[in-house]
Amino acid sequence: MKRRSFLAATSLLALYPGSAWAEGKNAAETAVEAAKKYAGTEISIVWEAGLQSLDPLNYSGPKWEKLTGIKVKVVEVPTDQMFTKIMQDFRSGAGAYDALNVIPSWMPDLVRAGALEPLDAWVDQFGYRDELQDIAPAYRDNQMTVDGKIYGFPDDGDVMLLYYRKDIFADPKMKEEFKAKHGYDLAPPKDWKQFAEIGQFITDKLAPKTYGAGFFRTAPYPQYMFQERFRMEGGKFFDAETMKATVNSPVGLKVFEGMVAENKFMPPGVEQWNFVDNLANFLQGTTAMTISWPPYGRWAAGYGSGEEALSWVPKSQIAGKVGYALNPLGRDELGVGFALSVSTASKHKEAAYLFIQWLNSKQTSLERVQLPYTLRDPFRTSHYESAEYRKLWPDAGAYLDTIKRAGETGLLDLSLLQQDKYDEAMTKAISSLWAGEDAQAILDRLAEQFDAVTQKVGVDKQKAVYKAWAAKPGAYP
Amino acid sequence: MNTRPALAQRISVASDRGFKYLMIAPAILILLLVGIFPLVYSLVVSFQNITMTEVDTSFAGALNYVQLFKDSRLWESLLHTALITMVALPLELVFGFLLAQLFLERFPGRQIFVALLVLPTVISPIVAGATWRLMFDVRFGPIGQILSFFAGEPVNILWTVNPSFVYPAIVVCEVWQWTPFMFLLLLAALSNVDQSQLEAAEIDGASYWRVLRQIVIPAITPVIAVAVLIRGLDLVRIFDIIWALTEGGPGSMTETISLYAYVIGFVQFDTSYTAAVAFLVIVILTAIVTIALRRMEMVR
Repeated sequence: MKRRSFLAATSLLALYPGSAWAEGKNAAETAVEAAKKYAGTEISIVWEAGLQSLDPLNYSGPKWEKLTGIKVKVVEVPTDQMFTKIMQDFRSGAGAYDALNVIPSWMPDLVRAGALEPLDAWVDQFGYRDELQDIAPAYRDNQMTVDGKIYGFPDDGDVMLLYYRKDIFADPKMKEEFKAKHGYDLAPPKDWKQFAEIGQFITDKLAPKTYGAGFFRTAPYPQYMFQERFRMEGGKFFDAETMKATVNSPVGLKVFEGMVAENKFMPPGVEQWNFVDNLANFLQGTTAMTISWPPYGRWAAGYGSGEEALSWVPKSQIAGKVGYALNPLGRDELGVGFALSVSTASKHKEAAYLFIQWLNSKQTSLERVQLPYTLRDPFRTSHYESAEYRKLWPDAGAYLDTIKRAGETGLLDLSLLQQDKYDEAMTKAISSLWAGEDAQAILDRLAEQFDAVTQKVGVDKQKAVYKAWAAKPGAYP
Repeated sequence: MNTRPALAQRISVASDRGFKYLMIAPAILILLLVGIFPLVYSLVVSFQNITMTEVDTSFAGALNYVQLFKDSRLWESLLHTALITMVALPLELVFGFLLAQLFLERFPGRQIFVALLVLPTVISPIVAGATWRLMFDVRFGPIGQILSFFAGEPVNILWTVNPSFVYPAIVVCEVWQWTPFMFLLLLAALSNVDQSQLEAAEIDGASYWRVLRQIVIPAITPVIAVAVLIRGLDLVRIFDIIWALTEGGPGSMTETISLYAYVIGFVQFDTSYTAAVAFLVIVILTAIVTIALRRMEMVR
């Protein structure tokens, strides 16, 4: 009887279409097979407008249609409108969006509102749980779940890295003079004091041809750098018991004063630099160090330089001269990022789920992160170890190793209810900092604004969300 | 015996009057729906607590109106709006008047110059703001290069970041774009000043300033009043130029009431609070317009 029961059970399991392992299929193949029953339908996906959208428009969307017969409509939305559009669609019940790209720090708000579909049941039904373990821990542990349930698949290895000019750092004369002046080797800075000393030294020696460093300084970018630096210097955003903001602590002041002081050895007008200004100056050799997301590393190496979509990226003058390192103090901000989710307003939920499983799977995601024209960055262990990726340019191996190290220990963005209001307050504060306002006064105002948002959301409600966030491994060092 | 015809007449009159109202009723209904309903609806919303993530529509009392008084950013934005209006409006008026005086004389190519002068007004304000942002750019902007040329050394003014320069930058852009509007109105007004009065004053030996003060300005005052009212209201609503130039920065230093309402309404989606802010603005604008109209009535 026991043997019969066992055989019956295993036979049923083998017949069950979702048991991928029984058929020896990977998650991508399982998703394709299961999705074929939806052939002829159309699903829509919200994607960040611009380069990011070229992935589903030119590559993954057409490929999915060829494999399954499901057409993919890509709804391009500027980043700052994505949250609003998703919420509007959900609130109206229109169901215009099936699958979503969600910035992980929005997840608590979207889940609380009921806009995101929990994915656990499908993950099990379509055999995806094992492949999720391949996603780098920083993303998997921090950007996938809310209250223990899966609401999104981390799909972009956003992490801010330090890029530096190897040729300048290896110059014997520079090395000798630097060591004589500061008593340690000229190498990627281990802390912000070293960063300031190295930056000033290079500016003194090479400006105006090359300045020590350059950063993007206009909204919204610097607030991610502030979040990282503030925590790495020992700062806490809130008192966990009272939820009173503590950003105006001596640590906050130290970070703000450091940020302002650094502008002095950066090129004139750095306070107005955006993403492209900073990129252009680094690629043209005007700055010796910068901090940014992984695409800088690819473009600096000249990867994708023949692509029409990247024609706006200045031709790299520094290919082969760029080194990759973790940011000073050694834990890098997982700034922004994207996770793939399913909208609760969708009329094609399962088809949408299968599409995001296929996109996010080991097999398809490896293809997507190698697309030279899109902005998806490696986020899986298998990406970091990919022999294929490591051959893309001479230093690609070092690039992947650095991203892996950064991804293993990355700090996640603050993620609370109505997070956009805290983000806006930080952005405004940093903008005031560049205008020369007193750092302590700005921080005191920032703390007041944080407290006002917390009061409005409800202290107890926000405290519970903060505690859950702060308990995550990537929240505080 | 006489009561019946009188009654019939009264019924007939009442029926005529009713018919009149019946005829205009659809128009009034549409006006009410289009004009009044959104206003009433906004008022209702302002007493609720609707946000993007919160759809609780229960009555929240005067919560949002109490919040108005505690919101320092709101009052600062009103102050910024008033500051820009009080500086830009007189400048536009004075420059517009001077240009109009200049173009009263007939000279070769006058019409071409007038057409060129009017060009900034036909440009979208967001484009004007973006253009001036490039003009003020510290690396590529011609303004910095010209200043550097005269100074004989690099002049790196961060026009949209430095608190000392950010308001002048906004006012320059605003005045550049809207002075031609004043110019056109005032040119038309000046062209219609009674020539016989001007000639009589000239014969009597009146000075230029006396003619200006006692004949020209009184003659064009109604036009000036209308132009100031139109531009004043536009300046209170100023959005595009500032959005393109500074996005309200540095910090919230150049955030006007329209920018603030946009941020809380369409970025943060504090729907009910935005409705309360909108009502505050309506009250302020109504007061200003009423006072302005009374003054204009006095002028007439």
